[in-house]
Amino acid sequence: MSISHHLTDETLLRYAAGTLPAGPALVVATHLESCAKCRARLLAFEAVGGALLDALPPERMEPDALARLMARIDAQEAPAPETAPRRMPDFPGDIRLPAALSACEIGPWKWAGPGVRMSRVTVPGGGESGAVLLRIGAGRRLPEHGHGALELTQVIYGSFSDIYGRYGPGDVSETDEDVDHQPVVDASGECICLAALEGQMLFKGFLGRLAQPFVRF
Amino acid sequence: MTSASAENNALGPQALSRLVVVIATDRDRQAFTWLYRHYAPRLKSYFLRSGMAGNVAEELAQETMLQVWRKAALFDPAKAGAGTWIFTIARNLRVDYLRHDRIRPSGDGEMPEDEADDAPNGEALLITSEREERLRTALQTLSSEQEAIVRLSFFGDKPHMQIAQELGIPLGTVKSRVRLALAKLRAALDGDK
Repeated sequence: MSISHHLTDETLLRYAAGTLPAGPALVVATHLESCAKCRARLLAFEAVGGALLDALPPERMEPDALARLMARIDAQEAPAPETAPRRMPDFPGDIRLPAALSACEIGPWKWAGPGVRMSRVTVPGGGESGAVLLRIGAGRRLPEHGHGALELTQVIYGSFSDIYGRYGPGDVSETDEDVDHQPVVDASGECICLAALEGQMLFKGFLGRLAQPFVRF
Repeated sequence: MTSASAENNALGPQALSRLVVVIATDRDRQAFTWLYRHYAPRLKSYFLRSGMAGNVAEELAQETMLQVWRKAALFDPAKAGAGTWIFTIARNLRVDYLRHDRIRPSGDGEMPEDEADDAPNGEALLITSEREERLRTALQTLSSEQEAIVRLSFFGDKPHMQIAQELGIPLGTVKSRVRLALAKLRAALDGDK
């Protein structure tokens, strides 16, 4: 997979620090699955976290803290079973769902305007911050909206284009409030992407009323 | 200073990484105890700075060290130093705690592996620790404003907009400081490519 659109340093830093809201963090995790270059860059920022951790002044632990932890290790307590509710919308062909979504609840496709279907992705414990899967027909515009502080769109299948170029599988589009791009799905076929926003989502027109219940922050 | 912390001061990044490797291969409790004495108090410090109450910070530090014991076999000294790896475990626990939910996908945030690294452990450890050492040096060359913003980015839970408000500087200034700082840090890490 040849990837030409990557995440910005700023977003990778926030992901490394663990301070991105759940929805955008999910899109970042999805991009990282397919992009070795961004994984290497993330590691650099995580190393910053490691360096800061090593440099922190130690805080005194309770006197028996180590003994209590050793007792837990001795007891070989089983880790809590990891169960995750999981539903999946129908995907065309043999598209593999990104592993980052495996713990998420994924709603059914819902009609969201001509040629546009949308499925809500709920991150466990993510509260108001979630993401949407968008399935958009060939030649259709992606839902028109204004921008919050950060908008991330990861292509899973197919492709779209905007003023910055063409986005294929593995590419991520990262824009902020300064950008007014108008992504259009390429004529060759439908496009599936995972999208999340930070800040207020401002879908315009009747589509907005449809979309708002799906993407909240 | 207790004798324990004096002992800890002697542990450099390479020694710490070696401890994790020994914990993974030998389930060595003495190695774990040394690692614990170094990291548990720093982890507590990290969680406190991230806005956790004292008892929560203590509990999350314990939980982090428990995962270090359990997941030691996943530590890849070719990828990161012990501090970096332990930081990511702590960060994931913090994210989980803030989401009031313990569910994580299996693999727990581990990225799919790149091609296997055939470098022998000792060599990998050295290369990683040299790279991270360059990063630590670069961190010290940041201006105090840049350093403050990197620190706030890691320990606060605040978007840059809010950092800007609190520091009383324009958002654009925060963003450009972050970019400059990150460019410096990346240059330090990219030196080995």
